[in-house]
Amino acid sequence: MGKVMIIDITKCNGCHNCQIACKDEHVGNDWSPIASPQPLTGQFWNRVVDRVRGQVPKVKVAYEHTMCQHCDEAPCIKACTEKAIYKRPDGIVIIDPTLCKGSHNCIEACPYPGVIFFNEDLKIAQKCTFCAHLLDQGWTETRCAEVCPTGAFTFGEEDDPEIKELMVRAEVLHPEFGTKPRVYYIGLPKTFVAGCVYDPEADEVVQGARVTITRTDGAEVATAAEATGAEVATATQVTATTDEFGDFLVDGLEFGTYRVLIEKEGFTQIEVEPFRLEKDLNLGDLPMQQTKGGVS
Amino acid sequence: MGGTEDKGSGAKTVVRGLCFIGIPADSNSVQVECDNGKIVRIRPLHYDWKYPDLKPWKMEARGSTFSPCMESLIPPFTLGYKNRVYSPNRVLYPLKRVDWDPSGAPGSTGPGGRNTQNRGKSKYKRISWDEALDIVTSEINRVKESYGMEAILSQSDGHGESATIHASHGCHRRLLRMLGGYTLQTRNTDSWEGWYWGAKHVWGCESLGQMVPVSNCIWDIAKNTDAVLFWGCDPETTPWGFDGQLASRVSYWFTDIGLKSIYVCPDLNYGAAVHADKWVPVLPNTDAALYLAVAHVWMTEGLYDKEYVDTHAVGFEKFQAYVLGEEDGIPKDPKWAAPLCGVPSYTIRALARYWGTHTVSIAIGNGGPGIRGPYATEPARLQILLLAMQGVGKPGVHQFKMLEWGLYNKKSNIPLPPSKYIPMTIAASRGWAYTDTPPQFIPKDLIHDAILKAPIEWYGTTLSRDSVDQQFIRYTYPREGGTEIHMVWTDSPSWITCWNDTNSYIRAYQDPQVEFILAQHPWMENDCQLADLVLPSLTVLETEDIGVESLSGQFSCVFYEDQAVGPRGESKSDYEIVCALAERFGLLEEYTGGRSVKDWIEFGYENSGAAKEITFEELKEKKYYVIPQDEEKEWKERKAGLLDFYEDPEAHPLSTPSGKVEFYSERLAEHFPDDTERPPMPRWIPEGESHKESRDGERGKSYPLLVISNHPRWRVHSQHDDMTWLREIHTCKVKGPDGYYYEPLWMHPSDAEPRGIADGDVVKIYNERGAVLAGAWVTERIRPGAIYIDHGARWDPIVAGELDRGGAINTITPHNVTSKNAAGMVCSGFLAQVELAPLDELRRAYPEAFARPYKADAGLRLERVLEGGE
Repeated sequence: MGKVMIIDITKCNGCHNCQIACKDEHVGNDWSPIASPQPLTGQFWNRVVDRVRGQVPKVKVAYEHTMCQHCDEAPCIKACTEKAIYKRPDGIVIIDPTLCKGSHNCIEACPYPGVIFFNEDLKIAQKCTFCAHLLDQGWTETRCAEVCPTGAFTFGEEDDPEIKELMVRAEVLHPEFGTKPRVYYIGLPKTFVAGCVYDPEADEVVQGARVTITRTDGAEVATAAEATGAEVATATQVTATTDEFGDFLVDGLEFGTYRVLIEKEGFTQIEVEPFRLEKDLNLGDLPMQQTKGGVS
Repeated sequence: MGGTEDKGSGAKTVVRGLCFIGIPADSNSVQVECDNGKIVRIRPLHYDWKYPDLKPWKMEARGSTFSPCMESLIPPFTLGYKNRVYSPNRVLYPLKRVDWDPSGAPGSTGPGGRNTQNRGKSKYKRISWDEALDIVTSEINRVKESYGMEAILSQSDGHGESATIHASHGCHRRLLRMLGGYTLQTRNTDSWEGWYWGAKHVWGCESLGQMVPVSNCIWDIAKNTDAVLFWGCDPETTPWGFDGQLASRVSYWFTDIGLKSIYVCPDLNYGAAVHADKWVPVLPNTDAALYLAVAHVWMTEGLYDKEYVDTHAVGFEKFQAYVLGEEDGIPKDPKWAAPLCGVPSYTIRALARYWGTHTVSIAIGNGGPGIRGPYATEPARLQILLLAMQGVGKPGVHQFKMLEWGLYNKKSNIPLPPSKYIPMTIAASRGWAYTDTPPQFIPKDLIHDAILKAPIEWYGTTLSRDSVDQQFIRYTYPREGGTEIHMVWTDSPSWITCWNDTNSYIRAYQDPQVEFILAQHPWMENDCQLADLVLPSLTVLETEDIGVESLSGQFSCVFYEDQAVGPRGESKSDYEIVCALAERFGLLEEYTGGRSVKDWIEFGYENSGAAKEITFEELKEKKYYVIPQDEEKEWKERKAGLLDFYEDPEAHPLSTPSGKVEFYSERLAEHFPDDTERPPMPRWIPEGESHKESRDGERGKSYPLLVISNHPRWRVHSQHDDMTWLREIHTCKVKGPDGYYYEPLWMHPSDAEPRGIADGDVVKIYNERGAVLAGAWVTERIRPGAIYIDHGARWDPIVAGELDRGGAINTITPHNVTSKNAAGMVCSGFLAQVELAPLDELRRAYPEAFARPYKADAGLRLERVLEGGE
């Protein structure tokens, strides 16, 4: 049992209410011994990070969130020489502001970047408390969860059936750290390949062209590609079909080397030479030449 | 009256609206939790807090149900409002410009003079309320005696905090009327220009020219539409200040139930960023070419509703001749349009074919070319004509707006299931009243010309509620027998950073003819820096009032709005300020109608519509009352949008002369036969007498980039620029190498690189009208050829009237109105050039401007304008 936070990035509109609500709660308000006031600026116990993906006109924005992960095997607890950091029975990790002596050990020990902050005036480390002081007063959710307009934030007991259902679809950040975080994410962005196929002779887009994206570096195509509506044809191949605008966009890919083949009857196929995929990529507007027999 | 810092301790929760439309209608409702005289936190209102049995409406479509949330969907401005209440930029006591002496003769300079030439540069000093009120009363008396009361211009419109009794706009109008009259600045229909001056001539739809009724449109779209074109619409931004975030939920729902969202805009706006299935990046203000090319494809491929056009429209043949090139030899086909609008011809064709073979609706949102662009009437009218070619009014085919739901308290303006009735507190409003238009008025976008080039003339009152026949009436300033203005009284002013060619406005306000400028506002920002006297007004969290929620689309409520915290400094509410002046004139009883604030609150409650359902005592005790929803049977039966017109145009005519959609307006031809800028039939007009803002024209050689300036993301127009927690967001401000937080300018890498501009560089945006500094954000969220900077950033003049550091882009927007006979304003879709700002050079040339007290958290601070820096 214990509290978890689930952040569904596919529902986040980037309004930053979560980031602002946390400021509203903690700047100028003293909740010792759970939390001392945050300084007016500079700390982001819940931070929204824009990620602009792609190139004109194949562009999207994903909003990621960083916050203390309230790990079950929190390195900060072990690193604190003052025993100022502890985990509550409900799973929440607290840095006691009355005990912290400002050694910075927790900041150095935490593998998640930018979630523990140092208050230069009070000379203490500070971070997200899952609004423990409010929960102790009877609130059932954190400030950030309360103000989210789209339901991107869900906060509650990990045994709750609704929460469990969400956790099945979710993943944690950096599982390789092994710290057993209590914050889960749905829809963490991967990488897409996109483009538009058109027929320059007819001056129209090509709908219904088959786009085959093949991974050529020996690794498998990520199964996340399935979630985006593309078909996983083989372990190393994903296919998609161009739509009424001649567009295709295959998401869920991982960094790697890929080649792309675009085919449609009546046209000469387009072969895109193997390329290294290291960020969301718009292959651009790709002209397809009609074959000698023309297009029916 | 008079300020006390603390109203006493003790925890309390205040429930009220906190939206920023500035009229006695509100939304973004909150629970403000206070203790020990300060605000502890601001939370969304939980509607079911005192009403646990509250039943929301349910809308079902495609196997999915959509309902309002049980808490209000407030935006970040509302949530972070402590930043405004406790802003270091609050005006806490009356301020007088140090080099303005009211005993100086008009036009006097030097010591003891009025020194109007120094407005925008002067410092201020603190004076007492007594002295301030003395100055105002004696100036009003002097102006009345020298010129007559009509010489006083009231600038009392626009947005701001919503309040009823302590209204942020227009409290002084009633007093001025009692004293003998005044000249009114009429608010040109900003954000609705093309609809009001253009679309009304096509399909009526009074009074804005946007589709009305929109009843049940969202439900109808959810059931019947294949795709929504978001054209001039950012549902993730523009609704925030007035309605909250329900539009966001609607947008997600559309996607969930399988509707396609297609965004046509030069920037990947915040709605496109998360909702677009397709982004069509069009060049700013070139959409008319795109619309014409779509029409061309429909005409040549037979992809439009011929029968509907025959039975529901007139003048189509003329339009067809123009589009097909029979009139001027130029077919408006996709290959013609592509270089003009920047969208590839094959994409235009694909859009046309998709649109012509699917059920498509258009969402507008106070953005895009149909509003503040040059000749906005043309793309706005063309949008309606294209909707008509697809049978607008038939199931699934609508134009609807993603905000301003419930505007004018009309159910016909709400596209979602409404409450049983719309509660109103207008009866108790002490601010401006619609009916109060004096004989002499000046449209807001002509103020600079009025002062510098009188006499002037134009058509129409420009007031949003006036019907189309007004547009054929010519007005002059001064009116016959009228007088020019010599004094300005403005409350919550916002001209400089939101209007047209505001560098001209600054020059106009430095003219000696304007002898006294009086401003009342809570913060020292923007136009206050031109005022001779600034009186400190309060924020709504410092007043007791009566209010309603009626714009959110979720629930409607009546609020007893308790005072949350004590007034800061010596601030008084706008109403209290005018009461103090009324008292000086011996008119207090008449001005207040013999009612105290508490009396007015109760009067507002009695006339709100809710008095039969809850007693005043119970309302005060519960703090709010939620109006019951419309009976499901009632709202479900309402016909969606223009369905009546679609089904029977003869029995349900539009309010046009023919009763039908007018592709060609005989009435415009009759009244303005020689008008090539707003012809009887909409056209592609790249340039003309009023505007030369085309990249392909002569000016485009020196100024090759098109500026798109939207409703801001992190402000509501000019409000909230000093909000510390928003300024920390990277799309809100760009931190320059000098530590100054600049307004962001979005540039595509292909435009930035050749100019040597990298992310985070300070740049100068300029044309002949002046220059503005900004912080570059090099991004793929803006198309090549276009640059993006929001309006509303606080004016921070390096040289007033020439060079601004704050990013107030409106200082260099076009001067002329929408077109010759259409007095809308133009402040997007205009030409500029960008280069790296020579910061070191500027710092050397203008040391004072760069040495003003500044702290990045809230930006400009009050001390910078105070004599001796306080």
